[in-house]
Amino acid sequence: MNQRARQRARAIVKMLIPEDYERIQSIKINDLGFGYDPFGLEIESAMMAYAVAKFIYTHWFRVESHGVENVPIKGPVLVTPNHSGVLPFDGAMIMVDVTKKMETPRIMRAVVDNFAGFLPFVNTLFYRWGQIIGARRNFEELLRQGEMVLVFPEGHKGTGKPYGERYKLTRFNVGFMELSLLNKTPIVPTAVIGAEEQYPYMLDLKPLARMLNFPYLPVTPMMLLVGPLGILPLPTKYTIYYGEPLHFYRDYPPETVKDPETIYGLVDTVKTRVQELIDQGLRERKGVFGFSLSSLDALLGGAGETAPPDERRQIQEKAGT
Amino acid sequence: MVKKIKKTVKKKTVTVKKKEAPVAKKAETASRKKNVLITGVTGTVGSRLAEALYYDKNVGVIMGVALGAKPYYFNQFDTKRFRYKNLNILKQRDLTNLFLASDFKEAKINTVVHLAFLNRVVSASKEKKTFNTLNVEGTRDLLEKCIESGSVTKFIFKSSDVVYKIRPHNPIYLDENADLNFDTDVDPWIKDRVDADMICQSKLDNRKTNIVILRFSNIIGRMVSSQMNAFFDSPLNFRALGFNPLINLIHMEDVIQAIHLAIRKNVKGIFNIAGADTAPISTFAEINRSRMVSLPEPLLRPSNALLRMMGLTRYYYSVDQDRLKYSLLLDTGKAQKTLGFRPRSHVYFERGVA
Repeated sequence: MNQRARQRARAIVKMLIPEDYERIQSIKINDLGFGYDPFGLEIESAMMAYAVAKFIYTHWFRVESHGVENVPIKGPVLVTPNHSGVLPFDGAMIMVDVTKKMETPRIMRAVVDNFAGFLPFVNTLFYRWGQIIGARRNFEELLRQGEMVLVFPEGHKGTGKPYGERYKLTRFNVGFMELSLLNKTPIVPTAVIGAEEQYPYMLDLKPLARMLNFPYLPVTPMMLLVGPLGILPLPTKYTIYYGEPLHFYRDYPPETVKDPETIYGLVDTVKTRVQELIDQGLRERKGVFGFSLSSLDALLGGAGETAPPDERRQIQEKAGT
Repeated sequence: MVKKIKKTVKKKTVTVKKKEAPVAKKAETASRKKNVLITGVTGTVGSRLAEALYYDKNVGVIMGVALGAKPYYFNQFDTKRFRYKNLNILKQRDLTNLFLASDFKEAKINTVVHLAFLNRVVSASKEKKTFNTLNVEGTRDLLEKCIESGSVTKFIFKSSDVVYKIRPHNPIYLDENADLNFDTDVDPWIKDRVDADMICQSKLDNRKTNIVILRFSNIIGRMVSSQMNAFFDSPLNFRALGFNPLINLIHMEDVIQAIHLAIRKNVKGIFNIAGADTAPISTFAEINRSRMVSLPEPLLRPSNALLRMMGLTRYYYSVDQDRLKYSLLLDTGKAQKTLGFRPRSHVYFERGVA
């Protein structure tokens, strides 16, 4: 953006979200001199994205959250939620939530999948909004700079899982744990309830996905019913739970990264904690859409699915919890 | 009493040091003086480097080598300190004669800065074989002669960041160990750059000659034949639709500073050198007030070819097809720590100021 466009963007943001304008304006970035940080983040673009996402946050997903005070207000931190819902609205909602509710607003940097880098427009927009393509070196650099990083340990396996697998965590990648120990970074286990029902998808067009370099290409019943409008997610109610930060680095020195067994054990601890938060959320929620509508809830799988699946039980046994 | 004795001893030591210092210093300075051979001295970087070295007291003799007669701007230099030689380093005989020549031996050349490398524009006007010979074989022959000579203790090669493989999922800062571009379908000029870089890398372990490879980001400056210079010089630019990568521009002053530091300091190895200005490509185009049109990627190559045919640009899209999509920033940590390099100058555009 040039200076004029930046001024216009600020004016639009002020008009759209006057209540948050001062807060988000106060966020400082590591400006290289032209209004961009080394990763391509531009504060005005991030403000615009925030304004749009805030609208979705308030009116579409009607997000509620618990435990935002568990997220450290300064220093490096890793936020590790479950991942779901085909399109990563869960990440966007967490970002809006922490920016809106934290005592001192911070920009959350999300680590996104490599495939986003190939896509025109997506590539540029993600960088301008502060998102980072998932190279390990980028991850390290962010933590070194004391940033708050959102990482989905499930990767795209989470967003691409079938509807029947909702709220069952897939395998966690271990990279985040290694970086947490190496960079002495606390981990905030987080659960997002509601995202797993936003795109109940039926089948994955794998050959087409491969051709387009996408990790998956799902078809949802809504796409069949209303055509391109089916790209809109269902207005499920989101609830976000932030767990207490886990400071593994206090007990495990950086050399632990050379011990895969311990690392897998620590990752399982995080996974179990996220699953516990998910279970708590599922127990507490009133319905998929935030109110009891028994017939629709029943169609989408019900509100109170609290029985832990087999996999969860196995993890809990393994982690000794 | 004990304290007094200690003080006396200290004083004595200091006095001895003071007496010895001037003699030792003189001898040390004489041995430390750098006598430098610069290939491609008539180029913009070469001539600016020659000038900078000429006014450096730590540099003794400067020998400039290039094709053609001595340019007028070297006439201001004292011939005792600056010597110009018209020779073709491609010719084995010329190269051998250079190292055997009495003035080379008299000058006690101990440092060679290899800048002679045909740029993409010049390369295009010659046959592929010809520019490959100069860029790659010329570099290899010169390096071998330097090592064989026994007197050359440092060989500095000016490389470029085009040697790196540009990918969307690259780390934001590429360090010196990042993957090089060994793709078979890349522009032949990039292949030359990578090959020459690899030839120098293969000799990095040499004990007699310290090899220094300086990989610069996009050099911007008047009369510089760099790709980005040609890009911003063009009245009309094209970029890939949907992409706006970050690029780094380095000022000519900082290029000279980096080479100068590499000559002075006792270093060897590969160093990334980047400038002070980093921004999306569209921001620089805007500061330069150049017209930039975004086109779908498949249209970029024919559009660029058309502009070149019409004489509107000297820029080669084929060299930068990935750079126009994905960011490439260099990690200069090693250069900062070992060379003490810090970019000092910002890039100025003729039409606007960056």
